[in-house]
Amino acid sequence: MSALEIQNIRKSYGAVETLKGIDIALQSGEFLVLLGSSGCGKSTLLNIIAGLAEATSGDIRIADRSILGVHPKDRDIAMVFQSYALYPNLSVRRNIGFGLEMRKVPVAERDKAVQEAARLLQIEPLLDRKPSQLSGGQRQRVAIGRALVRKPQVFLFDEPLSNLDAKLRLEMRTELKRLHQMLKTTVVYVTHDQIEAMTLASRIAVMKDGRIEQLGTPEEIYNHPATLYVAGFVGSPPMNILDVEVDNGSLSIVGSDVRLPLPERFRPAASDGKQLALGIRPEALRLASADQSGGHALPARIEVVELTGPELVATARIGQQKLTACLAPRAKLGQGDAAVFLFDDDALHLFDRASGRACLA
Amino acid sequence: MERKSLLFTAFIYASALLLAVVILAPVLWLFIMSISPAADLSAKPLRWWPQEVDFSRYAVLLSTVENSAGASFVASLYNSLRIAGMATIAAIALAIPAGWAVSRTPAVGWSLSVVIATYMLPPVALAVPLYMGLAWLGLLNNIFGLALVYLTILAPFTTWLMKSGFDSIPREIESAAMIDGASLFQTLRIITLPLAAPVVATSALFALLLAWDEFFYALLFTSDLRAKTLTVAIADLAGGRVSDYGLIATAGVLAALPPVLIGLVMQRALISGLTSGGVKG
Repeated sequence: MSALEIQNIRKSYGAVETLKGIDIALQSGEFLVLLGSSGCGKSTLLNIIAGLAEATSGDIRIADRSILGVHPKDRDIAMVFQSYALYPNLSVRRNIGFGLEMRKVPVAERDKAVQEAARLLQIEPLLDRKPSQLSGGQRQRVAIGRALVRKPQVFLFDEPLSNLDAKLRLEMRTELKRLHQMLKTTVVYVTHDQIEAMTLASRIAVMKDGRIEQLGTPEEIYNHPATLYVAGFVGSPPMNILDVEVDNGSLSIVGSDVRLPLPERFRPAASDGKQLALGIRPEALRLASADQSGGHALPARIEVVELTGPELVATARIGQQKLTACLAPRAKLGQGDAAVFLFDDDALHLFDRASGRACLA
Repeated sequence: MERKSLLFTAFIYASALLLAVVILAPVLWLFIMSISPAADLSAKPLRWWPQEVDFSRYAVLLSTVENSAGASFVASLYNSLRIAGMATIAAIALAIPAGWAVSRTPAVGWSLSVVIATYMLPPVALAVPLYMGLAWLGLLNNIFGLALVYLTILAPFTTWLMKSGFDSIPREIESAAMIDGASLFQTLRIITLPLAAPVVATSALFALLLAWDEFFYALLFTSDLRAKTLTVAIADLAGGRVSDYGLIATAGVLAALPPVLIGLVMQRALISGLTSGGVKG
């Protein structure tokens, strides 16, 4: 039995179809991240689960019960909004206990639940303040606390960290992960931040134009992107995509005379003369040197070298095509240098140019 | 911050003073007239300050001796209070749900525009239909009749104000309340209305002033002490063969007092900024 089942959900606003058939089934305790750029339909999907929007067709089931047409309060969900959506005129204590208050939970029991949530989130000293007296991170904790006390079947998060500054975002991310490990509640979390998705999710659904591009664990999404879009979206800097042509059993990089052998696993999908896209992650590249050899070699000319601290990001060109590499910070490189990058066979991805889908063996 | 030159500072103060004088001078003159003896008011050249201060007109207007000018004035003051009060309370009671509905349901926004459009008609265009309507209902020269007429003027205006007030409250807060299990009525009562309190207060104050100052309909639809309002009573004072300008001025001062007092009391409620902190702004 699934904790949350999304079956062929479609949503149209007039002639515009924002969701084009979404299917996801979640086991209890899973942390699903809906990842995509703005306008991909991820927030619409979350609102449909929450009951703030109605699907045009399809079904949503929580604990095997269809919740279409069920009032949001009866769906056994709790939601944390991007803007926090705290009640400004109520104290933190009442904000957190509001859901229980509306459900006529006795005062003593409600107070206990509020205390418990406040202890978990370390906001006990703030209970008698008003939201306007809190910092952004504290407000975020209150918003989470408000969802927590309800003990719902499913937590819904709508870009909860996007209003926080970088340092606080990192802290709250870890905090969320800790909470999820402790509570083991099913979570659906919407974000456009791929780092948040990678770190938090037990499974990621990458969305684009109202469809799911790929649904899988963070490892699968990162190591085996199903489409060019996923490959480009996840990872920072994004995966290098080079235009290649299959030529006589090898890959010829368009606009240069560099050739790479075609790995065995791609042979069935790569017929001669076919236009393909070659993907290599910047962090899979390493600089060839006396003690570094083996794997495939890519000769390139260095254009820009940027030291970020933990790594050196080198932007280079192979013919007219751009290549980015994340190298060890001590690598000796300068503008205009000719360099040879090496990478292992299993770091090579191939995509069909026309369909954008991965060529899988 | 940039340091301003002395000249500029002086200019700012002079401008503020000028504005204050322009606004306050008529009020001050009204008060001076009300305490000047009749002779001083018609003297040439004009006396800017009375030779002797004379508060007797206040006593005249506030006397409760039967059939006196005072009794008539006090009755009209009471009528005005009741009519403006009833119309305002009814208008706010209507405007809160109506404004909320229009704010949260953009699809029905056109209906408010239609209502506002009727507001553009000059009052004289509606005078005859309203008169006939009130006559048919038997509400001519009746405070309920006049309050009803005022309600038709105030309700669109207050609904419009309330709608813009509700518009500024994030919908996410209400969505959160809905998920938390609050009914529509609970959401309105516990969350939305307290946040909209400054707008409610502003609407109420403006509605009250509008009804308090209305003259045209009051003149047409009332005829004696049972329903006559202050504005009509003041006009009556000026309508005789001999006009006592001092008495008119005194009536004006007394008529201005209730709204001023209500305004002072409501000032605290008018302070906005209550929504800060609920959502990231």
